[in-house]
Amino acid sequence: MNKVIFRAADISKSFPGVKALQQVNLSLNHGSIHALLGENGAGKSTLIKIITGIHRQDHGKLMLDDQLLQLHGPHDAISQGIGVVHQERNLIPRFSVSENIFLESLGNKGQTRIDYRAMHEKARVWLDMLALDVDPATPVNRLSVAQMQLVEIAKALSLKSKVLLLDEPTASLTSHETDTLFSVLHRLRDSGVSLVFVSHKLEEVQEICDQVTVLRDGVNACESRPMQGLDRQDIVKLMIGRSEQIPDWAARARSTSGIALELQDVCTSSGHRDVNLQVRRAEIVGLYGLVGAGRTELAKAILGKDRIVSGTIEVDGSPATISNVADAVEKYHIGYVSEDRKQEGLILMHSIIENVGITVWQQLGKARAFLTNRTIREHVEPYINKLEVKTPSLNQYVNNLSGGNQQKVSVAKWLAAGVHVLIIDEPSVGIDIKTKAYLHELIRELADTEDTAILLISSDMPEMITLADRIVVMNDFQVMGDIVNTRDYATMSEAIMNLIHRKQADKPTTPQTTPQPDNRAAL
Amino acid sequence: MNNVSSTQPPTSDAMRLEDESPPRTGSSRLGPQLTRLLLSNEFGLLALIILFSVIFALATPGFTSSFSLFAMGRTAAVNIIIGFSMMVVIVSGGLNLSVGSIGVCVAMAGGWLMQVAGVPWYLGVVGALVLGAMIGALNGIMIVKTGLHSFIITLATMSIFFGVMIFLTQAGSFRELPPEYVQFGRMKINGVVSPLLIVTLLIGVVLSVFFRLTTSGRRLLAAGANPDAAELSGIRVDRTIILCHALSGVLAGIAGLMLVSRTGAAIPSMAGQLGQDWLLPAFLGPVLGGTLLTGGRASVLGTLLGAFLVTLLTTGLLLLQVGAFWVQTCLGLLLLAAVLIDLSRRTYLARHNLI
Repeated sequence: MNKVIFRAADISKSFPGVKALQQVNLSLNHGSIHALLGENGAGKSTLIKIITGIHRQDHGKLMLDDQLLQLHGPHDAISQGIGVVHQERNLIPRFSVSENIFLESLGNKGQTRIDYRAMHEKARVWLDMLALDVDPATPVNRLSVAQMQLVEIAKALSLKSKVLLLDEPTASLTSHETDTLFSVLHRLRDSGVSLVFVSHKLEEVQEICDQVTVLRDGVNACESRPMQGLDRQDIVKLMIGRSEQIPDWAARARSTSGIALELQDVCTSSGHRDVNLQVRRAEIVGLYGLVGAGRTELAKAILGKDRIVSGTIEVDGSPATISNVADAVEKYHIGYVSEDRKQEGLILMHSIIENVGITVWQQLGKARAFLTNRTIREHVEPYINKLEVKTPSLNQYVNNLSGGNQQKVSVAKWLAAGVHVLIIDEPSVGIDIKTKAYLHELIRELADTEDTAILLISSDMPEMITLADRIVVMNDFQVMGDIVNTRDYATMSEAIMNLIHRKQADKPTTPQTTPQPDNRAAL
Repeated sequence: MNNVSSTQPPTSDAMRLEDESPPRTGSSRLGPQLTRLLLSNEFGLLALIILFSVIFALATPGFTSSFSLFAMGRTAAVNIIIGFSMMVVIVSGGLNLSVGSIGVCVAMAGGWLMQVAGVPWYLGVVGALVLGAMIGALNGIMIVKTGLHSFIITLATMSIFFGVMIFLTQAGSFRELPPEYVQFGRMKINGVVSPLLIVTLLIGVVLSVFFRLTTSGRRLLAAGANPDAAELSGIRVDRTIILCHALSGVLAGIAGLMLVSRTGAAIPSMAGQLGQDWLLPAFLGPVLGGTLLTGGRASVLGTLLGAFLVTLLTTGLLLLQVGAFWVQTCLGLLLLAAVLIDLSRRTYLARHNLI
């Protein structure tokens, strides 16, 4: 019954200066879901790339059905039945669902005409199997993120994959969408497909995986162990070499400190209606909601990037007119850590010092004729050191840093700016447990010692409950209510979910189409 | 520049940890610093300049004559400024196809101010350059307001500016310019060096300072590299784009006025139809010099060397009596070769963790 279908044995791989993998083993049972875990940089991606034929191992071998596998490229892997759904979207946005699914085979026919009707029908089979109710002729850019994810899985399955690797498939999904995906994965497993599941969310891993392989610094911390009998702390211990320290922070009362940021009946051009929100000095206000609830859009409206149609914003008790982001930063000392650090948070091709210094050029440049790197460094270096950014030099390009260090840089630039209000959007997407815990401490400390008012946007419920003093729940571009955080996970998560669902109970007729399709596509 | 740790001891454990194990490189005998220097664009260009200088000096006796050197320096002065005028826009992630057109407009305005309006030559220069800044800023404003790519806008304005200029001047030239002004372009320092070349070098220094040591220059680089991130960091990307186009207009104007001083007349056809003759030198300098076409990175020295190399090759090939059309072909091939070499150079550096 527990037949091993695929084995990676003694895999080693070096890149210049780095031993990415050293004698790593992984064996995959027929019809199982296998978790591949590890912190950022532990070697998960490298292993996946070797299994899917993108990289070649230096040593070791891959066995499929007891046959030695020689992969000379991704095509070989696909033809052997090894499919992969990468973290990044690999769909062509303007092509239809079925064109995307059959992209690999479209080219084989050369000059012959494509029979679209037959192709749509064939696609329908896979879509039905995944319980995805969309017309195969729809261009994929009209789909939600979760639907796109399912199309990618359909594509991998249509290639007759026996082994399917999923690299963080739930990173951008809501919990409801995640549930749908999991039921699909269960069905796939039961039909005999072997799945490798990579995720940073341990709750999910425990929920659906049968076996687990953990990598730490390029070696096996454990190999193909049954998930049964392992609890969260065991897994964390395997991943980081010690147990996770859950911060036991006292609840803080901030109801007496001054109001740093207040929104009154704010409506925006992106669709918010009558949003009221208060953030006090030294307070961390969590903004919770499902993906597409309009939280990031609200942050951008506060920053002056999206237009405010009606209502008022007050900063430190006096009305503020913020017509662009420069106003927000310079006049009102509001900073924003973007959820999309590669596109919006950082300038990847520039150095650390330029990225951190960007918020202080204006201020430093006023006092002197020439702004030297030395001046900037004197100002920003303490913050970079405080955040323990790992780098050989401040002139290192940010592109070359790991995800966690990049995130530290994108936070450091706002520490350097000394903002009074900091909006932090999904601070721990794609960063490992150690860095995440570190950032949490830092955010808490920022509120405690610097009196910074913090508006924290997160879809990560444990993170929200760890950090926030008060949690404001948003749904469909409206504020549904707020709750003082008691730090009791069970009651808090229930209260939050009730707030989100209140809307559906109150207004059952509100159709799904209310959130702008543009926003969904952008996410 | 790159050596932070030698001037200042690393303060955090994290930094020290990494300092003790620098990234190993493929060429282990050379230090990474040296490899990086040897593979830099500027070094490559310098090597090519020396190589071709030696070849031309051996092949044609006229190449090293003081007249030839003077003429080459004077031509290089103009080509380098043309390269700069394109570079400052490329840095922002855009293009300015109207550099030639603006250059001629400014040159004609300068000619008109000096000859018809009768203002002293220095006021004529200043007035004409103000016009250049305004025309350039107009490009920038249109790009920012419409949200269209600078390619389309400047393609249109290239025609518009040139057409308006021809209409206003009735396609006539200004040939009676103040002698001091014309003298400037013909003057020789020590018999070989043109003062125009000195002006160009000074402008190069000013641009280097602008990009390295001023807030505006840093903002321009940031906005060019990633406009979204720059905007969310509090940079007014719109203003930055307008500024860089105004700067491009001024630089194109300087190049135009230099040509006027050299030829002693402001002539509408001095940069070809619509100013198109400037396009190849405008792109060659920055591209050879390693300015990224996607924006965000500039090399003033590279552009200077790149434009100089182009001038050197043109002069040398013409002295070798290669036909003028072949020279154009060679320049085109050079542009293509430069891009390909740059690509492999960058791949090498990236693969060995030297970037």
